[in-house]
Amino acid sequence: MGDSTVETSSFRLQDAPMTRDRTAGWAYVRGYGEVFEGDGAWYLTSADAVQYAQQHPELFSSARAFDSLGSPLPLIPIAMDPPDHVGYRRVLDPMLAPRVINAMEGELRRQLGVLIDAFVERGSCDVVADFARLYPTQVFLTLFGLPLEDRDQFIEWAEFIIEHAGVAATEPNEQVAAVSGQLFGYLQQCVEAKRRSPGPDMLSRILALRGESAWSNEEILGLCFLLTLAGLDTVTAEIGFLLFHLAKDVDLRRRVVGDPALVSPLIEEVVRLEPPAPIQPRVTTTDVDVAGIEIPSGQLVNLVVAAANRDPARFSSPNTIDLDASDRGHFGFGGGIHRCLGSHLARRELRLAVEEFHRRIPDYELAEHADPEVVWPSGTLHLKELPLVFTARPKP
Amino acid sequence: MKVTIAAERCTGHGRCYNIAPVLFSDDERGFGDITGAGDVAGEHEEVARAAVAGCPEHAVVLNS
Repeated sequence: MGDSTVETSSFRLQDAPMTRDRTAGWAYVRGYGEVFEGDGAWYLTSADAVQYAQQHPELFSSARAFDSLGSPLPLIPIAMDPPDHVGYRRVLDPMLAPRVINAMEGELRRQLGVLIDAFVERGSCDVVADFARLYPTQVFLTLFGLPLEDRDQFIEWAEFIIEHAGVAATEPNEQVAAVSGQLFGYLQQCVEAKRRSPGPDMLSRILALRGESAWSNEEILGLCFLLTLAGLDTVTAEIGFLLFHLAKDVDLRRRVVGDPALVSPLIEEVVRLEPPAPIQPRVTTTDVDVAGIEIPSGQLVNLVVAAANRDPARFSSPNTIDLDASDRGHFGFGGGIHRCLGSHLARRELRLAVEEFHRRIPDYELAEHADPEVVWPSGTLHLKELPLVFTARPKP
Repeated sequence: MKVTIAAERCTGHGRCYNIAPVLFSDDERGFGDITGAGDVAGEHEEVARAAVAGCPEHAVVLNS
Protein backbone atom coordinates (compact mmCIF):
# COMPACT_ATOMS: atom_id res chain seq x y z
CA MET A 1 0.00 0.00 0.00
CA GLY A 2 1.61 3.30 -1.02
CA ASP A 3 0.84 6.94 -1.60
CA SER A 4 -1.13 7.91 -4.63
CA THR A 5 1.25 10.27 -6.40
CA VAL A 6 0.02 9.71 -9.96
CA GLU A 7 -1.78 12.63 -11.54
CA THR A 8 -5.29 11.21 -12.04
CA SER A 9 -6.99 14.09 -13.83
CA SER A 10 -6.00 12.50 -17.17
CA PHE A 11 -7.70 9.20 -16.33
CA ARG A 12 -10.55 8.22 -18.63
CA LEU A 13 -11.91 4.73 -18.27
CA GLN A 14 -12.80 4.72 -21.96
CA ASP A 15 -9.13 5.40 -22.82
CA ALA A 16 -7.98 2.07 -21.37
CA PRO A 17 -6.49 0.12 -24.34
CA MET A 18 -8.82 -2.80 -23.80
CA THR A 19 -10.16 -3.88 -27.20
CA ARG A 20 -7.44 -6.38 -28.17
CA ASP A 21 -5.43 -6.76 -24.99
CA ARG A 22 -6.90 -6.78 -21.48
CA THR A 23 -3.43 -7.04 -19.95
CA ALA A 24 -2.64 -3.58 -21.30
CA GLY A 25 -6.15 -2.34 -20.54
CA TRP A 26 -6.18 -3.23 -16.85
CA ALA A 27 -2.53 -2.16 -16.45
CA TYR A 28 -3.64 1.30 -17.62
CA VAL A 29 -6.30 1.43 -14.90
CA ARG A 30 -3.99 0.05 -12.19
CA GLY A 31 -1.29 2.51 -13.24
CA TYR A 32 -3.23 5.35 -11.61
CA GLY A 33 -2.86 3.74 -8.18
CA GLU A 34 -4.64 1.28 -5.95
CA VAL A 35 -7.11 3.94 -4.79
CA PHE A 36 -7.78 7.02 -6.88
CA GLU A 37 -10.43 9.48 -7.98
CA GLY A 38 -10.90 10.20 -11.67
CA ASP A 39 -13.45 10.31 -14.46
CA GLY A 40 -16.33 11.00 -12.08
CA ALA A 41 -15.83 8.16 -9.61
CA TRP A 42 -13.39 6.54 -7.22
CA TYR A 43 -11.53 3.41 -8.28
CA LEU A 44 -10.16 0.56 -6.17
CA THR A 45 -7.70 -1.56 -8.16
CA SER A 46 -5.63 -3.67 -5.75
CA ALA A 47 -6.67 -7.04 -4.33
CA ASP A 48 -6.46 -5.70 -0.76
CA ALA A 49 -8.55 -2.60 -1.49
CA VAL A 50 -11.24 -4.47 -3.44
CA GLN A 51 -11.48 -7.15 -0.79
CA TYR A 52 -11.72 -4.55 1.99
CA ALA A 53 -14.70 -2.94 0.24
CA GLN A 54 -16.38 -6.30 -0.46
CA GLN A 55 -16.07 -7.36 3.16
CA HIS A 56 -17.40 -4.06 4.59
CA PRO A 57 -20.90 -3.57 3.13
CA GLU A 58 -21.68 -1.23 6.04
CA LEU A 59 -19.11 1.21 4.57
CA PHE A 60 -19.60 0.41 0.89
CA SER A 61 -23.34 0.27 0.19
CA SER A 62 -24.96 -1.44 -2.78
CA ALA A 63 -28.40 0.11 -2.23
CA ARG A 64 -27.91 3.13 -4.49
CA ALA A 65 -25.04 1.80 -6.56
CA PHE A 66 -27.13 0.41 -9.42
CA ASP A 67 -29.37 3.42 -10.11
CA SER A 68 -27.88 3.80 -13.60
CA LEU A 69 -29.65 0.61 -14.68
CA GLY A 70 -32.91 2.53 -14.35
CA SER A 71 -34.88 -0.36 -12.90
CA PRO A 72 -38.29 0.76 -11.63
CA LEU A 73 -38.28 -2.23 -9.25
CA PRO A 74 -35.91 -3.23 -6.44
CA LEU A 75 -32.96 -5.17 -7.90
CA ILE A 76 -33.00 -8.13 -5.54
CA PRO A 77 -30.53 -9.00 -4.06
CA ILE A 78 -27.69 -7.08 -5.75
CA ALA A 79 -28.86 -3.59 -4.79
CA MET A 80 -29.62 -4.43 -1.15
CA ASP A 81 -27.64 -3.95 2.05
CA PRO A 82 -27.76 -5.88 5.33
CA PRO A 83 -29.97 -6.72 7.08
CA ASP A 84 -32.54 -7.03 4.21
CA HIS A 85 -29.97 -8.67 1.94
CA VAL A 86 -29.44 -11.60 4.33
CA GLY A 87 -33.05 -12.73 4.19
CA TYR A 88 -33.18 -12.72 0.40
CA ARG A 89 -29.96 -14.70 0.05
CA ARG A 90 -31.14 -17.29 2.62
CA VAL A 91 -34.07 -17.97 0.30
CA LEU A 92 -32.21 -17.72 -3.01
CA ASP A 93 -28.90 -19.47 -2.27
CA PRO A 94 -30.48 -22.95 -1.88
CA MET A 95 -32.29 -22.50 -5.21
CA LEU A 96 -28.96 -22.08 -7.01
CA ALA A 97 -26.86 -24.47 -4.93
CA PRO A 98 -24.73 -27.17 -6.62
CA ARG A 99 -27.12 -29.97 -5.62
CA VAL A 100 -29.98 -28.22 -7.45
CA ILE A 101 -27.82 -27.72 -10.52
CA ASN A 102 -26.76 -31.39 -10.53
CA ALA A 103 -30.37 -32.25 -11.32
CA MET A 104 -30.33 -29.96 -14.40
CA GLU A 105 -27.10 -31.29 -15.88
CA GLY A 106 -28.57 -33.91 -18.24
CA GLU A 107 -31.04 -31.47 -19.75
CA LEU A 108 -28.37 -28.78 -20.18
CA ARG A 109 -26.06 -31.25 -21.97
CA ARG A 110 -28.91 -32.24 -24.27
CA GLN A 111 -29.61 -28.61 -25.19
CA LEU A 112 -25.90 -27.94 -25.80
CA GLY A 113 -25.77 -30.91 -28.15
CA VAL A 114 -28.63 -29.52 -30.24
CA LEU A 115 -27.02 -26.06 -30.45
CA ILE A 116 -23.56 -27.34 -31.43
CA ASP A 117 -24.82 -30.02 -33.81
CA ALA A 118 -26.47 -27.23 -35.80
CA PHE A 119 -23.08 -26.06 -37.09
CA VAL A 120 -20.73 -29.09 -36.95
CA GLU A 121 -21.27 -29.82 -40.67
CA ARG A 122 -20.48 -26.21 -41.67
CA GLY A 123 -16.83 -26.38 -40.62
CA SER A 124 -17.07 -22.86 -39.27
CA CYS A 125 -19.06 -20.89 -36.74
CA ASP A 126 -19.26 -17.62 -34.91
CA VAL A 127 -19.12 -18.83 -31.32
CA VAL A 128 -20.87 -15.69 -30.07
CA ALA A 129 -23.84 -15.62 -32.48
CA ASP A 130 -24.33 -19.36 -33.05
CA PHE A 131 -23.86 -20.68 -29.57
CA ALA A 132 -22.78 -18.46 -26.66
CA ARG A 133 -25.60 -15.97 -27.19
CA LEU A 134 -28.35 -18.62 -27.19
CA TYR A 135 -27.41 -21.09 -24.48
CA PRO A 136 -27.52 -18.93 -21.28
CA THR A 137 -31.04 -17.73 -22.07
CA GLN A 138 -32.13 -21.34 -22.60
CA VAL A 139 -30.64 -22.20 -19.21
CA PHE A 140 -32.56 -19.33 -17.59
CA LEU A 141 -35.81 -20.42 -19.24
CA THR A 142 -35.15 -24.01 -18.12
CA LEU A 143 -34.38 -22.93 -14.54
CA PHE A 144 -37.62 -20.92 -14.44
CA GLY A 145 -39.69 -23.56 -16.22
CA LEU A 146 -40.54 -21.29 -19.16
CA PRO A 147 -40.94 -22.31 -22.82
CA LEU A 148 -37.72 -22.43 -24.86
CA GLU A 149 -39.68 -20.98 -27.82
CA ASP A 150 -39.55 -17.62 -26.02
CA ARG A 151 -35.76 -17.58 -26.31
CA ASP A 152 -35.21 -15.23 -29.24
CA GLN A 153 -37.74 -12.62 -28.09
CA PHE A 154 -36.25 -12.76 -24.61
CA ILE A 155 -32.71 -12.27 -25.96
CA GLU A 156 -33.83 -9.29 -28.04
CA TRP A 157 -35.27 -7.49 -25.02
CA ALA A 158 -32.38 -8.33 -22.68
CA GLU A 159 -29.69 -7.31 -25.17
CA PHE A 160 -31.40 -4.01 -25.89
CA ILE A 161 -31.64 -3.12 -22.20
CA ILE A 162 -28.07 -4.15 -21.46
CA GLU A 163 -26.68 -2.29 -24.45
CA HIS A 164 -28.55 0.94 -23.78
CA ALA A 165 -28.53 1.08 -19.98
CA GLY A 166 -25.80 0.38 -17.48
CA VAL A 167 -22.47 2.10 -16.98
CA ALA A 168 -22.51 3.96 -20.28
CA ALA A 169 -25.90 5.56 -19.62
CA THR A 170 -25.92 9.05 -18.19
CA GLU A 171 -29.66 9.67 -18.05
CA PRO A 172 -32.84 7.61 -18.12
CA ASN A 173 -33.59 6.47 -21.64
CA GLU A 174 -37.18 6.35 -22.92
CA GLN A 175 -36.49 3.48 -25.32
CA VAL A 176 -34.97 1.42 -22.50
CA ALA A 177 -38.02 2.16 -20.37
CA ALA A 178 -40.29 0.97 -23.20
CA VAL A 179 -38.39 -2.28 -23.76
CA SER A 180 -38.13 -2.86 -20.00
CA GLY A 181 -41.90 -2.47 -19.90
CA GLN A 182 -42.30 -5.21 -22.50
CA LEU A 183 -39.96 -7.51 -20.59
CA PHE A 184 -41.82 -6.81 -17.33
CA GLY A 185 -45.11 -7.54 -19.08
CA TYR A 186 -43.80 -10.88 -20.29
CA LEU A 187 -42.40 -11.75 -16.84
CA GLN A 188 -45.70 -10.78 -15.22
CA GLN A 189 -47.52 -13.21 -17.53
CA CYS A 190 -45.04 -15.94 -16.59
CA VAL A 191 -45.64 -15.27 -12.88
CA GLU A 192 -49.39 -15.51 -13.35
CA ALA A 193 -49.08 -18.73 -15.39
CA LYS A 194 -46.90 -20.28 -12.67
CA ARG A 195 -49.32 -19.23 -9.95
CA ARG A 196 -52.05 -21.15 -11.80
CA SER A 197 -49.97 -24.25 -12.53
CA PRO A 198 -46.74 -24.46 -10.51
CA GLY A 199 -43.90 -26.79 -11.51
CA PRO A 200 -40.59 -27.99 -10.02
CA ASP A 201 -38.84 -24.79 -11.18
CA MET A 202 -37.23 -21.86 -9.33
CA LEU A 203 -40.00 -19.38 -10.11
CA SER A 204 -42.65 -21.75 -8.71
CA ARG A 205 -40.55 -22.25 -5.57
CA ILE A 206 -40.42 -18.49 -4.95
CA LEU A 207 -44.15 -18.16 -5.57
CA ALA A 208 -44.76 -20.97 -3.08
CA LEU A 209 -43.24 -18.99 -0.18
CA ARG A 210 -45.93 -18.29 2.39
CA GLY A 211 -46.59 -16.14 5.43
CA GLU A 212 -43.79 -13.79 6.49
CA SER A 213 -41.45 -15.22 3.84
CA ALA A 214 -43.85 -14.57 0.95
CA TRP A 215 -42.54 -12.17 -1.71
CA SER A 216 -44.53 -9.30 -3.18
CA ASN A 217 -45.11 -9.12 -6.92
CA GLU A 218 -42.60 -6.24 -7.13
CA GLU A 219 -39.93 -8.30 -5.37
CA ILE A 220 -40.44 -11.24 -7.72
CA LEU A 221 -40.31 -9.10 -10.86
CA GLY A 222 -37.25 -7.26 -9.52
CA LEU A 223 -35.44 -10.56 -9.05
CA CYS A 224 -36.44 -11.76 -12.54
CA PHE A 225 -35.23 -8.47 -14.03
CA LEU A 226 -31.89 -8.74 -12.24
CA LEU A 227 -31.33 -12.37 -13.28
CA THR A 228 -32.03 -11.30 -16.86
CA LEU A 229 -29.48 -8.50 -16.67
CA ALA A 230 -26.82 -10.37 -14.69
CA GLY A 231 -27.17 -14.02 -15.67
CA LEU A 232 -27.32 -14.10 -19.46
CA ASP A 233 -24.79 -11.87 -21.19
CA THR A 234 -22.16 -12.64 -18.54
CA VAL A 235 -22.18 -16.35 -19.37
CA THR A 236 -22.35 -15.51 -23.10
CA ALA A 237 -19.25 -13.38 -22.67
CA GLU A 238 -17.36 -16.02 -20.74
CA ILE A 239 -18.04 -18.81 -23.24
CA GLY A 240 -16.57 -16.47 -25.83
CA PHE A 241 -13.45 -15.81 -23.74
CA LEU A 242 -12.91 -19.49 -22.97
CA LEU A 243 -13.06 -20.59 -26.60
CA PHE A 244 -11.03 -17.52 -27.64
CA HIS A 245 -8.10 -18.49 -25.42
CA LEU A 246 -8.39 -22.15 -26.42
CA ALA A 247 -8.47 -21.25 -30.13
CA LYS A 248 -5.47 -18.94 -29.83
CA ASP A 249 -3.27 -21.33 -27.87
CA VAL A 250 -2.86 -24.74 -29.53
CA ASP A 251 -0.88 -26.22 -26.63
CA LEU A 252 -3.47 -25.11 -24.10
CA ARG A 253 -6.30 -26.55 -26.19
CA ARG A 254 -4.58 -29.91 -26.74
CA ARG A 255 -3.87 -30.19 -23.03
CA VAL A 256 -7.48 -29.44 -22.05
CA VAL A 257 -8.99 -31.69 -24.76
CA GLY A 258 -6.66 -34.49 -23.67
CA ASP A 259 -7.51 -34.14 -19.98
CA PRO A 260 -11.10 -33.02 -19.30
CA ALA A 261 -10.22 -32.66 -15.59
CA LEU A 262 -8.46 -29.45 -16.66
CA VAL A 263 -11.66 -27.76 -17.85
CA SER A 264 -12.52 -26.50 -14.35
CA PRO A 265 -9.01 -25.10 -13.68
CA LEU A 266 -9.18 -23.41 -17.10
CA ILE A 267 -12.51 -21.81 -16.21
CA GLU A 268 -11.06 -20.41 -12.95
CA GLU A 269 -8.12 -18.90 -14.77
CA VAL A 270 -10.16 -17.40 -17.62
CA VAL A 271 -12.75 -15.96 -15.21
CA ARG A 272 -9.85 -14.47 -13.23
CA LEU A 273 -8.27 -12.86 -16.30
CA GLU A 274 -11.44 -12.00 -18.26
CA PRO A 275 -14.20 -11.40 -15.71
CA PRO A 276 -17.36 -10.46 -17.62
CA ALA A 277 -18.40 -8.01 -14.86
CA PRO A 278 -15.01 -6.33 -14.41
CA ILE A 279 -16.18 -3.34 -12.37
CA GLN A 280 -18.67 -3.50 -9.52
CA PRO A 281 -20.09 -0.28 -8.02
CA ARG A 282 -20.65 0.74 -4.41
CA VAL A 283 -21.50 4.03 -2.64
CA THR A 284 -19.68 5.06 0.54
CA THR A 285 -21.91 5.46 3.60
CA THR A 286 -19.34 7.54 5.53
CA ASP A 287 -15.81 8.89 5.13
CA VAL A 288 -13.65 5.81 4.58
CA ASP A 289 -9.86 5.41 4.69
CA VAL A 290 -8.59 2.91 2.11
CA ALA A 291 -4.83 2.38 1.83
CA GLY A 292 -4.20 5.73 3.49
CA ILE A 293 -6.47 7.68 1.17
CA GLU A 294 -9.73 9.17 2.44
CA ILE A 295 -12.84 8.67 0.31
CA PRO A 296 -15.64 11.02 1.40
CA SER A 297 -19.14 9.83 2.24
CA GLY A 298 -21.66 9.44 -0.58
CA GLN A 299 -19.12 8.77 -3.34
CA LEU A 300 -19.50 6.26 -6.16
CA VAL A 301 -16.68 3.74 -5.77
CA ASN A 302 -15.86 1.30 -8.57
CA LEU A 303 -14.36 -1.99 -7.41
CA VAL A 304 -12.16 -3.00 -10.34
CA VAL A 305 -12.15 -6.75 -9.78
CA ALA A 306 -10.47 -7.31 -13.15
CA ALA A 307 -7.46 -5.28 -12.01
CA ALA A 308 -7.46 -6.89 -8.55
CA ASN A 309 -7.39 -10.30 -10.24
CA ARG A 310 -4.09 -9.29 -11.85
CA ASP A 311 -2.53 -7.77 -8.73
CA PRO A 312 1.10 -9.00 -8.65
CA ALA A 313 1.07 -8.65 -4.84
CA ARG A 314 -1.58 -11.41 -4.67
CA PHE A 315 -0.97 -13.51 -7.80
CA SER A 316 2.31 -14.77 -9.27
CA SER A 317 2.52 -14.50 -13.10
CA PRO A 318 -0.73 -12.54 -12.81
CA ASN A 319 -1.34 -12.03 -16.53
CA THR A 320 -1.05 -15.59 -17.83
CA ILE A 321 -3.29 -18.67 -17.70
CA ASP A 322 -1.68 -21.21 -15.39
CA LEU A 323 -3.67 -24.44 -15.16
CA ASP A 324 -1.40 -25.64 -12.37
CA ALA A 325 -2.16 -22.60 -10.21
CA SER A 326 -5.92 -22.37 -10.62
CA ASP A 327 -6.52 -22.76 -6.89
CA ARG A 328 -5.91 -19.09 -6.22
CA GLY A 329 -8.89 -17.24 -4.83
CA HIS A 330 -9.94 -14.58 -7.33
CA PHE A 331 -12.66 -11.94 -7.49
CA GLY A 332 -14.18 -12.93 -10.82
CA PHE A 333 -17.50 -13.72 -9.14
CA GLY A 334 -17.19 -10.77 -6.78
CA GLY A 335 -16.81 -11.38 -3.07
CA GLY A 336 -18.21 -10.73 0.36
CA ILE A 337 -21.95 -10.99 0.91
CA HIS A 338 -22.69 -10.12 -2.74
CA ARG A 339 -20.71 -13.06 -4.14
CA CYS A 340 -22.40 -13.87 -7.47
CA LEU A 341 -25.67 -15.63 -6.65
CA GLY A 342 -25.44 -17.64 -9.86
CA SER A 343 -21.76 -18.58 -9.59
CA HIS A 344 -22.40 -22.31 -9.12
CA LEU A 345 -24.77 -22.38 -12.09
CA ALA A 346 -22.39 -20.26 -14.21
CA ARG A 347 -19.41 -22.52 -13.51
CA ARG A 348 -21.50 -25.57 -14.45
CA GLU A 349 -22.83 -23.92 -17.63
CA LEU A 350 -19.29 -23.08 -18.67
CA ARG A 351 -17.89 -26.54 -17.91
CA LEU A 352 -20.66 -28.32 -19.80
CA ALA A 353 -20.31 -25.90 -22.74
CA VAL A 354 -16.58 -26.58 -23.11
CA GLU A 355 -17.01 -30.33 -22.63
CA GLU A 356 -19.82 -30.66 -25.18
CA PHE A 357 -18.03 -28.40 -27.67
CA HIS A 358 -14.84 -30.45 -27.43
CA ARG A 359 -16.77 -33.72 -27.64
CA ARG A 360 -17.89 -32.65 -31.13
CA ILE A 361 -15.17 -30.21 -32.21
CA PRO A 362 -11.86 -31.10 -30.55
CA ASP A 363 -9.67 -29.23 -33.04
CA TYR A 364 -10.36 -25.68 -34.15
CA GLU A 365 -8.69 -22.36 -34.70
CA LEU A 366 -9.47 -18.70 -35.27
CA ALA A 367 -10.72 -17.99 -38.80
CA GLU A 368 -8.13 -16.44 -41.08
CA HIS A 369 -7.59 -12.70 -40.41
CA ALA A 370 -9.84 -12.90 -37.36
CA ASP A 371 -8.68 -10.57 -34.61
CA PRO A 372 -11.48 -10.70 -32.04
CA GLU A 373 -12.11 -7.48 -30.14
CA VAL A 374 -14.07 -6.69 -27.02
CA VAL A 375 -16.62 -3.91 -26.83
CA TRP A 376 -15.21 -1.05 -24.73
CA PRO A 377 -16.39 0.68 -22.68
CA SER A 378 -19.11 -1.76 -21.70
CA GLY A 379 -20.68 -2.91 -18.45
CA THR A 380 -20.26 -6.52 -19.48
CA LEU A 381 -16.90 -7.15 -21.11
CA HIS A 382 -17.46 -9.38 -24.13
CA LEU A 383 -16.15 -10.28 -27.57
CA LYS A 384 -18.21 -8.91 -30.46
CA GLU A 385 -17.66 -12.07 -32.48
CA LEU A 386 -15.46 -15.14 -32.45
CA PRO A 387 -15.21 -16.78 -35.89
CA LEU A 388 -13.69 -20.28 -35.75
CA VAL A 389 -12.87 -22.86 -38.41
CA PHE A 390 -12.61 -26.62 -37.93
CA THR A 391 -12.97 -29.87 -39.87
CA ALA A 392 -16.60 -30.26 -40.90
CA ARG A 393 -18.37 -33.39 -39.70
CA PRO A 394 -21.68 -34.88 -40.77
CA LYS A 395 -24.56 -33.83 -38.57
CA PRO A 396 -25.43 -36.71 -36.22
CA MET B 1 -3.26 -30.93 11.08
CA LYS B 2 -6.81 -29.67 11.30
CA VAL B 3 -8.89 -27.68 8.84
CA THR B 4 -11.71 -25.28 9.76
CA ILE B 5 -14.01 -22.83 7.98
CA ALA B 6 -14.46 -19.40 9.58
CA ALA B 7 -18.24 -19.20 9.20
CA GLU B 8 -18.30 -15.39 9.54
CA ARG B 9 -16.07 -15.08 6.45
CA CYS B 10 -17.54 -17.83 4.25
CA THR B 11 -19.90 -16.43 1.60
CA GLY B 12 -20.45 -19.62 -0.38
CA HIS B 13 -17.95 -19.46 -3.26
CA GLY B 14 -17.76 -23.26 -3.03
CA ARG B 15 -14.11 -23.50 -3.91
CA CYS B 16 -13.12 -25.68 -0.92
CA TYR B 17 -15.38 -28.62 -1.72
CA ASN B 18 -14.46 -28.47 -5.39
CA ILE B 19 -10.72 -28.33 -4.76
CA ALA B 20 -10.70 -30.78 -1.82
CA PRO B 21 -13.86 -32.90 -1.82
CA VAL B 22 -12.16 -35.33 0.55
CA LEU B 23 -12.14 -32.65 3.28
CA PHE B 24 -15.18 -30.47 2.47
CA SER B 25 -18.75 -30.89 1.28
CA ASP B 26 -21.47 -28.53 0.09
CA ASP B 27 -24.43 -27.69 2.29
CA GLU B 28 -27.91 -26.98 1.03
CA ARG B 29 -27.05 -23.32 0.34
CA GLY B 30 -23.85 -24.23 -1.50
CA PHE B 31 -21.66 -23.11 1.40
CA GLY B 32 -18.74 -25.27 2.56
CA ASP B 33 -18.91 -27.81 5.37
CA ILE B 34 -16.12 -29.79 6.99
CA THR B 35 -16.48 -33.52 6.48
CA GLY B 36 -15.93 -35.32 9.76
CA ALA B 37 -13.84 -33.66 12.46
CA GLY B 38 -11.59 -31.77 10.06
CA ASP B 39 -8.48 -33.87 10.75
CA VAL B 40 -6.14 -33.78 7.77
CA ALA B 41 -4.18 -36.94 7.08
CA GLY B 42 -0.64 -36.51 5.74
CA GLU B 43 -1.64 -37.54 2.23
CA HIS B 44 -4.26 -34.77 2.14
CA GLU B 45 -2.08 -31.90 3.34
CA GLU B 46 -1.33 -30.67 -0.17
CA VAL B 47 -4.98 -30.53 -1.19
CA ALA B 48 -5.83 -28.83 2.13
CA ARG B 49 -3.30 -26.10 1.35
CA ALA B 50 -4.84 -25.73 -2.12
CA ALA B 51 -8.26 -25.21 -0.51
CA VAL B 52 -6.79 -22.50 1.73
CA ALA B 53 -5.25 -20.77 -1.30
CA GLY B 54 -8.40 -21.17 -3.35
CA CYS B 55 -10.79 -19.51 -0.90
CA PRO B 56 -11.32 -15.91 -2.06
CA GLU B 57 -12.53 -14.86 1.42
CA HIS B 58 -9.61 -16.46 3.31
CA ALA B 59 -12.21 -18.40 5.28
CA VAL B 60 -10.45 -21.78 5.16
CA VAL B 61 -7.87 -22.15 7.92
CA LEU B 62 -5.31 -24.91 8.37
CA ASN B 63 -3.77 -25.37 11.85
CA SER B 64 -0.94 -27.66 12.82
